[in-house]
Amino acid sequence: MVTALEVNALVKHYKGRQKVEAVNGVSFSVSPGQIFGLLGPNGAGKSTTINCIIGFFPPTSGTVQVMGYDVHTEPKKARQLLGVCPQEDTLDTDFTVRDQLERHATFFKMTKAEAKRRTDELLERFNLAEKAKENVESLSGGMRRRLQVARALISSPKVLVLDEPTTGLDPDARRTLWDIMEEHRAEGLAILLTTHYMEEAERLCDRIALIHGGKILDENTPRALIDKHVAKEWIEEEIRPGVKWKRPANLEDVYLSVTGSKLAAAEA
Amino acid sequence: MGETFWAIRCVYFRYLAVFRKNVLYSLMTTIVEPMLYLLSFGFGLATMINEVGVGGKMISYRAFVLSGFVGQSVLFQGFFEAAYGGFIRMYYQKIFKAMATTPVTLDEVLWGELTWDATKGTLSAGMVLLIGSILGDFNPWGALILFPLCYVFCFIFAGLGLWVSSLASTIEQLAYPQYLFVFPMFLFGGVYFPMDRLPPIVGKVAWALPLTPCLEITRGLLFNVPIGWYCWALVAFWAVVLPWTSHGAMKRRLVK
Repeated sequence: MVTALEVNALVKHYKGRQKVEAVNGVSFSVSPGQIFGLLGPNGAGKSTTINCIIGFFPPTSGTVQVMGYDVHTEPKKARQLLGVCPQEDTLDTDFTVRDQLERHATFFKMTKAEAKRRTDELLERFNLAEKAKENVESLSGGMRRRLQVARALISSPKVLVLDEPTTGLDPDARRTLWDIMEEHRAEGLAILLTTHYMEEAERLCDRIALIHGGKILDENTPRALIDKHVAKEWIEEEIRPGVKWKRPANLEDVYLSVTGSKLAAAEA
Repeated sequence: MGETFWAIRCVYFRYLAVFRKNVLYSLMTTIVEPMLYLLSFGFGLATMINEVGVGGKMISYRAFVLSGFVGQSVLFQGFFEAAYGGFIRMYYQKIFKAMATTPVTLDEVLWGELTWDATKGTLSAGMVLLIGSILGDFNPWGALILFPLCYVFCFIFAGLGLWVSSLASTIEQLAYPQYLFVFPMFLFGGVYFPMDRLPPIVGKVAWALPLTPCLEITRGLLFNVPIGWYCWALVAFWAVVLPWTSHGAMKRRLVK
């Protein structure tokens, strides 16, 4: 099978006063038309992995390939095909919404006409057309996030990296982003997604890797992970004194049982 | 090489676009400051002071202090744009990272930053050169040769600015190098009075700082007096060391 993003035995140790082994041999691949979820608690090595994948941090060992180009030895070719929406807000507040997108397009060698056409398209799709002439500063948190995802798509990439794109969004804004991700998946985009929302991962991701302590603990489809790690099909919980609630087992149960036990073991 | 040049150009154009978007603000910050100093010192203070000696030649204090403002412009504009502007772009806007996750690399982003910061200071110094030449205080041919050299001077101070910005953990900390290094350099480096008026020890310290050789070259060209070879050597030294140091330090800060 053709892979769009191939991460192979990625290792990243931080040097400095305290040597930190942030990522210890992570491997996975994402195919075109697939959403791949990378889940794990804070400090599990997600952000380091993402920073290595987008070519910002050099890995200690291992390789990352985007459509066959190594991100670290051929950064320009690889990143031409890569769209990135980092976890932190990196919008250029000196520009308006439209200028933001058109300016970003220049970094991908897009012509003016191309940039304009693509910007119009994205503004429309992300419901930002009315805000086109406004400054980034005047946007709400949800709009800023949407704009940042739109910016990552400006160059029509083959691989899209979304690092916690929906954190802090209201349900409506989140739903809009989900729809957009699903649309792009249908068009063959490979998406790498990190999120702390388990229902989001369960609904969107074709495959999921659970990462903890810099290693992937398990990787499979959401359904297979639930079947494997949660013994019961139905979970009964007492959510308030005397109030019982019966629900089907979900990804959150997997997450808690897989990474939770590791956390407990690490603390012990 | 061509790719790198193209990428730096892209980054440079981003700064240029911001400059042009706020053109009034940009021109005010670039040009009004040297103009105010010019009026206050050149036409105010200068009437109270006689001629001063530069390289064995007597020139009016107005001409002397005007030429000093060329140095002040490259120092302040280069330093402040890179130190404060650079810190804001790196720390608050995080646009170094935004640009460096496209086909443009972080190396190229940082060279783009430095070349732009130097451009801003050069514009400002160019304004002073123009005014001094129109007033008849400067040798216009010297001013013409000096103009591109101002870019080199400014590159030094942009390097200094970006370096301190890469070391600061908060924006307030930029005040330390500003008050302890940049202001003393500006006040004792020869902008306002000839170095020989200072106790010799102060003069020696001033020569260890990058502004003094820049001012010597500036005055040499503007007043047709000889320039010591060591001035060129010092400028070349700083123009290599400071930008490269800052580039490396900023990279180390951002890339773990």
